[in-house]
Amino acid sequence: MQTRNKAALTRRQFVAAGVLGGAALAVGCKAGNQGNWDFFTDAQALDLTALCDQIIPADGFPSASQAGVITYIDRQLFRHYRRHRDAYRDGLEQADALSRKSFAKALADATPLEHLAIVSAVEKQNPTFFDLVRRHTMEGYYGSPRHGGNRDGVSWRMLGLAEPPVRGRAQYDLRKGAAS
Amino acid sequence: MKRVNAVVVGAGAAGGIVAKQLATAGLSVALIERGKWYTANDCRKDDLRNQRVTVLGNAFGPDDEGNPRVAVDARGVPSIVLPSEGQYQNDAACVGGGTLSYGAQAWRYMPQDFRMRSTYGAPQGSSLEDWPISYDDLEPFYDQAEYEIGISGDYSGTPFHGPRKRDLPMPPLVPNREFGILESAAKRLGLHPFHLPMARNSVPYNGRGPCMRCRWCCGFACEVDAKNGSQNTVIPVALKTGNCDLRTECMVKEILLDDRGRAHGVSYFDADRHLQQQLSDIVVVSGCATESARLLLNSKSRLFPAGLGNRYDQVGRHLQGHHYTGASGYFDFDTYDDVGPGASIAIIDYNHGTPGLCGGGMLANEFIRLPIHMVNGLPPGTPKWGLGHKQAMRDWHKRTIVVFGPTQQIPTASARVTVDPSVKDKWGLPVVRFEGNVHPHTFDIGQVQAKRAEAWLKEAGAIHTSISAGRPDTVSAGQHQAGTCRMGNDPQGSVVNKVCQLHDVDNVFVIDSSVHVTNGGFNPALTIMAVAFYASGELVRNWKGTGYRS
Amino acid sequence: MMRLLKLAAMALGAVALLAVSGSYGASYYYTTQHGQGCAGCHEMGAYVSAVHGSHHQDVGCMECHEAGMSTKMRHMRVHFFGTPPEAIHLRDTDVLAMASNCQKCHRHEYATWHAGPHSATYSQIFAAPAHNSSRRLMEDCLRCHGMHFSGSVRDLVQPQNLDGPWHVIRAGFADQPTMPCQTCHQVHKAGGVPEAKPAQRISVAGEAVHNSLAFFDRREQTHVDAALLSIPPLQEGARAVKMSEDQREAICYQCHAPRIPEPGSLAAEHQWGPQVGSGDDRTPKGVHEGLSCISCHVGHNENARASCKSCHPQMSHCGLDVEKMDTTFAAAASKHNIHWVGCVDCHQHGVPKMKT
Repeated sequence: MQTRNKAALTRRQFVAAGVLGGAALAVGCKAGNQGNWDFFTDAQALDLTALCDQIIPADGFPSASQAGVITYIDRQLFRHYRRHRDAYRDGLEQADALSRKSFAKALADATPLEHLAIVSAVEKQNPTFFDLVRRHTMEGYYGSPRHGGNRDGVSWRMLGLAEPPVRGRAQYDLRKGAAS
Repeated sequence: MKRVNAVVVGAGAAGGIVAKQLATAGLSVALIERGKWYTANDCRKDDLRNQRVTVLGNAFGPDDEGNPRVAVDARGVPSIVLPSEGQYQNDAACVGGGTLSYGAQAWRYMPQDFRMRSTYGAPQGSSLEDWPISYDDLEPFYDQAEYEIGISGDYSGTPFHGPRKRDLPMPPLVPNREFGILESAAKRLGLHPFHLPMARNSVPYNGRGPCMRCRWCCGFACEVDAKNGSQNTVIPVALKTGNCDLRTECMVKEILLDDRGRAHGVSYFDADRHLQQQLSDIVVVSGCATESARLLLNSKSRLFPAGLGNRYDQVGRHLQGHHYTGASGYFDFDTYDDVGPGASIAIIDYNHGTPGLCGGGMLANEFIRLPIHMVNGLPPGTPKWGLGHKQAMRDWHKRTIVVFGPTQQIPTASARVTVDPSVKDKWGLPVVRFEGNVHPHTFDIGQVQAKRAEAWLKEAGAIHTSISAGRPDTVSAGQHQAGTCRMGNDPQGSVVNKVCQLHDVDNVFVIDSSVHVTNGGFNPALTIMAVAFYASGELVRNWKGTGYRS
Repeated sequence: MMRLLKLAAMALGAVALLAVSGSYGASYYYTTQHGQGCAGCHEMGAYVSAVHGSHHQDVGCMECHEAGMSTKMRHMRVHFFGTPPEAIHLRDTDVLAMASNCQKCHRHEYATWHAGPHSATYSQIFAAPAHNSSRRLMEDCLRCHGMHFSGSVRDLVQPQNLDGPWHVIRAGFADQPTMPCQTCHQVHKAGGVPEAKPAQRISVAGEAVHNSLAFFDRREQTHVDAALLSIPPLQEGARAVKMSEDQREAICYQCHAPRIPEPGSLAAEHQWGPQVGSGDDRTPKGVHEGLSCISCHVGHNENARASCKSCHPQMSHCGLDVEKMDTTFAAAASKHNIHWVGCVDCHQHGVPKMKT
């Protein structure tokens, strides 16, 4: 297609882009991550996926992470839930340590059955962190899609709710309505 | 800045009405509101950020940034709470106040609710009192509120309501499925169910259309503008007179006193946080029970070193809300029809007359459920997470009915609002601090009410039920907060007289839920409105052109 | 002193150089090959990869998105120094600028849309005296008209009362379309380049959803795939109306929607469900029951003028020209709405047996 040719880089453009890219490296993006997440490292995201997908596993309907729950939590840790950042950093580290201790492998490499055992252990050993993750997972899964979770309203459809609901509005002539 | 006749602090349920009554009577009014004038566009039906589910903040104020409060727990340990947290006891901070986003149940209290002490005697440790005015005194103003604000519903199914001169101006909404299920069950139990009153258009009224029956109601601003609050009824009327100047994002710092101990205006921070003075003949405080008390307590002067009107340490005491109890019923057939607002049927058989209990409360089906509400509302024994929880969400979301009610709280003097000695808000003003707890007799009533709700659900065919009747050890206030500037004839036991005028300063009035002596077993909005019509009527009647006839 | 001036001049020069090279850099950054420039910021990654998996995979970002220099610099500033919004959305002005770019390739579709009622402008919808003098404007109007508009309805039209006169107060919006292409089409929606043009003949039911069909949900600020939208069950009295299974028409129901029965209505009294023909619903019943909206209405301009012949012989069983029967198809003033006309509307003394 024509577009491709047109968009090909000239040498001068290449240099300019390079200057800018250098600037980007020097300043660094505020998110701190060049990866896929606002707050998490890719490794943390994988660890959290292991936990969240036990809290809401896949059955005929998507798991927590498949519905975007990690995105939800990531976005909020960068915004409204900034106060929970340390809890996530420490909690995920502990969960990973637990996995290494119990199964001699990283949390992300453990099997789903091992994940289940770890989540049950976290629930007992670190109930504050577990409650936080559970609460945020439920919010992400059953809340509004605009925040990154509940992708395509999948949990609402699962419950048999039309999304968006079809609902007509009144067509009254208000002049005929009662007035006080 | 030009002197005005009246400064009204707070543009909520009461302040909007006061401003409209004064402005239409020809007084010049400055209506000062700390929040913004939001619309439904500012929330767009966000399940995680509204005034009911606040996990991502309050849609209609205040923000979590710069608006802390302090809550003291049962052990006496204070902690800072944010507006999106339950212990903050938030109402809202916006034009319309709570009425922009409330569920809009619009109840009259019953005649006994104004005579609680005479009817029951005060339980030990309580500050249960009679109001200095009666139901009959307020009846014309309940009527005025019902017609000016616009209420739908039908009381004809119950004999227990107070006398009324005419029916509500609008018929009830068409019943949802829960109504049918609960109505026949209540009748089998010998109860008197009826269509509960709502400040919501069921037919066109006041130039706006009817409810479209959506799922996003309680906690949300209405996208079809069918929910009636002060922001779409009285405030536009006030503004249209040309006598009322509404100033949003303005935070009143204190009420200013002259040398003779009379108020001559307020100082406030404007939207740019510049300190301004607005001089006036009278000051009306309508900031809701926590913030009105705070403003009086923060208005310290030589004459009132403990805060304005607080000579007898009464400002901020008797804080009360409602003790919500009830039950969830789980059915083996679909009860949910996705038709809002959901709450549709009520009984008031249990508000009074149970031997051994000081009052009771209304019971009604709950507002329509969002999925996020259901996460912690599944039948007892359901796993809290995992496949079992997910399956239970599918099994029960459309097969659950919740019956709940505002149990009337027995007030105590120790449940109170003070101002914190060290924590300040973004304007540098000392913030609200909550102390005390709920009188234990309230829990006795709540327990009985919950059992009654459960019995109703069982009669309706619930195959499982669970009761919700907690015993919180902190204050209870929330959106139904009341009582902190008690109305009474005795200056040593109350803050304002029977026309809402400070005992101590004759040109300062408190007109909002703060003056409620007791808070009924009902959602308080219509009573707040009726008191506002009543008190501003008295104010106008006694107005002498340039000042208040004291 | 001179030295100081020299230093100042040098500093100024450096700043100017940085600004110029920065802005040019920004520009080039955007126009680099095949969206890779845009995707260099992780916030944009998902959008760029989505377009690569869509019908529009061969179209460069800047073919549709017209980002001016100030927009580019704003993106850079937010990316490097600010907090980006939770999800990246087009602004209302961006959407309108894009919509007119659609015609570069989709000239015919654009022209038919432009000639039809769905291209109604903001002033036609929101400053119409006939409407505004009888019904107050509300936020919900924007759900179907102006779903991309960023503000409240009070930021769009004043005064907000029944008295008027009404004006669109948002600069530049009066003559813009309220329902641009992106109302029903999601440009980045997944799906490869179609092998052939979609079928021209419109079938009654069951055709696959055209790949770009998706409704823009103002609340969530996102498109919802037509395949995920619901077609509401409707009743005529207590009887369930036969609904078409054409999933494409689910988009139509988002706005042409039935209502919950209102107080005092027969339907409310009998506890019937939403009734066919209530509110803005135009679901066919009677002789046309079961047809999809799209069976008769040509996409883009809603014209149904040539539709009869695709199913009917010109002459009816009674020997009447179907296009000239007494229905709203022939004349808008007819009391027989073409959506709901039944045999008994004309054959009041009994419907004759069909000739075979």
